Amino acid sequence: MSATSARPSHAAQPSGSAFILKKALISALVALVLFSLMIGIRTEAGPQGGLIYWTRFGDLAALVGAVFGGSIVVELLRQWWGPVDKDRVVPKPVQSAMSFAGRWLAPALLVFTFLVPVIFYNQRYILDLSILVLTYVMLGWGLNVVVGLAGLLDLGYVAFYAVGAYSYALLATNFGLSFWVCLPLAGILAAFWGVLLGFPVLRLRGDYLAIVTLAFGEIIRLVIINWQSLTGGPNGVSGIPRPTMFGIPLTAGDDGLAAKLGIEFSPTHRLVFLFYLILAMALITNWVTIRLRRLPIGRAWEALREDEVACRALGINTTTTKLTAFATGAMFGGLAGAFFATRQGFISPESFTFQESALVLAIVVLGGMGSQLGVALAALTMIGGFELFRGLDQYRMLVFGMAMVLLMIWRPRGLIGHRAPTVFLERNQAISSDLVKEGHG
Amino acid sequence: MSAAQATTPLLAVRGVRAAYGKIEALKGVDIEINRGEIVALIGANGAGKSTLMMTIFGRPRARAGAIEFDGRDITGVPTHEIARLRIAQSPEGRRIFPRMSVAENLQMGADATECSEAERAAGLERVFALFPRLKERVAQRGGTLSGGEQQMLAIGRALMSRPRLLMLDEPSLGLAPLIARQIFDAIRTLNRQDGLTVLIVEQNANHALKLAHRGYVMVNGLITLAGTGAELLQRPEIRAAYLEGGRRG
Repeated sequence: MSATSARPSHAAQPSGSAFILKKALISALVALVLFSLMIGIRTEAGPQGGLIYWTRFGDLAALVGAVFGGSIVVELLRQWWGPVDKDRVVPKPVQSAMSFAGRWLAPALLVFTFLVPVIFYNQRYILDLSILVLTYVMLGWGLNVVVGLAGLLDLGYVAFYAVGAYSYALLATNFGLSFWVCLPLAGILAAFWGVLLGFPVLRLRGDYLAIVTLAFGEIIRLVIINWQSLTGGPNGVSGIPRPTMFGIPLTAGDDGLAAKLGIEFSPTHRLVFLFYLILAMALITNWVTIRLRRLPIGRAWEALREDEVACRALGINTTTTKLTAFATGAMFGGLAGAFFATRQGFISPESFTFQESALVLAIVVLGGMGSQLGVALAALTMIGGFELFRGLDQYRMLVFGMAMVLLMIWRPRGLIGHRAPTVFLERNQAISSDLVKEGHG
Repeated sequence: MSAAQATTPLLAVRGVRAAYGKIEALKGVDIEINRGEIVALIGANGAGKSTLMMTIFGRPRARAGAIEFDGRDITGVPTHEIARLRIAQSPEGRRIFPRMSVAENLQMGADATECSEAERAAGLERVFALFPRLKERVAQRGGTLSGGEQQMLAIGRALMSRPRLLMLDEPSLGLAPLIARQIFDAIRTLNRQDGLTVLIVEQNANHALKLAHRGYVMVNGLITLAGTGAELLQRPEIRAAYLEGGRRG
């Protein structure tokens, strides 16, 4: 077979190529049978009322060819994206190119993100969308601590988002506190609620935990709706102050940033500022998570996800481990919430429905639990892609459902299911051999 | 170590009762483990061997009786604090962390006990000297190891806390006889070289009693026989109940 001989590196697995070709041939055959009448022969009512027909074998051949080629591509993709234990039929150059791309994807993405406001300065829609995507990236990274690392299935994450948003909104409108004072307060309050949720669910895992957290999310929302005197109920809180650049408002007034810098005021300034603000917040979330993963507490989270009994046997206090996971995740949710409130200027309980929790959870699961890059990519696809397919109207839900199903078939562990280890022997060995020498000397 | 300390057993379990709900699994158990000893606890399925080991670890809690470790009463002390007294456990069914690498699994063993970087590195060296297979697979995910390697990892992980008492629950469970022998040899090495005190719970009575200095036989939540390993191996009731029966299976 030419495909096999052309790639000597895969000579050991000819069945792979043969299998793919066979499968493609069968698909092409089925397509031929199906389409020969549907496409190959076209019938129409003639001018005299009789049936006339003509053949379209060219179209038929193109279609069958497309099925043949498409089948090969799909099968290659499936084998290569599929489970690890399968033989790979992807040629080496493509593999190395992909691994190269994989290594540079995150830095490239980061650089691109930094440049987004420069490139799309005049496209308000794209800037707005980018801010939205980044908000979900941050939420995804926050929930990733709870679900991806600690393995605690949280269906009520939106509760912390709401706590953060309302903390800022109420503190700012009632006491006139600035965004920069309220931001840490919102984080602390959300973390506090995280611990509060954590206590009753300490003994729960999996489905049971999911149900209680789901209820928690709903309780917070219902309290917000019904506590009219404080939260304004379904009317929400309006007139939430916009953020200032460390005290300098981004307004057209004389004391605004534009006036101070001596440049012409543009409402885009605020958007750009918001963009970099949420980018910074998301990156801090990412940085903290990466740091924590390398510390005993982060390792304990991951171990807790794997096996709680073993954790206890190793002397890990599972109570504090779970509570810190809840608190950390909730804190990031709360910070994102405060940002959301200041961006919108208006919040109401409608923004904090279960659908938001489900969306963030979908981002984490699709991205690959525990993978920071995966979560970012998933947020980009879910939020950005959703907007991209706006033209498809009612079909976009269908497209998304299909995309999610396909992803779960091909990548059951999420887009990036690989988890990077946090303990490396090389470094440890260097230390240990030094010490052993010292001990002997 | 003072003379008084040397004469008190490292671990003393006195009249301990424990239950799961209404089902009493331990009905007043007394065992003692002296420093530097390997003690085997044998018995049939459901005799309460694993429960005893877990009760020593505080989960389930003892409903009556006392557990003393190194002269200190540890009855009712939370599990994670017991582990910090450097009692290590390799739980039944190994329970390694499947998605974490071998190195991370071992690190987990060291995380809970306050140990310096040097102690941790020395601990790693010790584990790798005992189980060279683990060193070869150090970057591999725990779940991809074979059963025997997982058992080695579970024991290695327990050793990373530099335990004063190592408790092993059925280390030969589901292993090929050759691998099981390697595990038992490693336990013997640990005991002879480092003077590690070991409590081993086993269904493989023959192996366990040959390895152990002393043994206890447990039936229905009670210790029915105690003696040196050699003595117990000679007892006709042991032979009938565990050895001949074991050979058939």
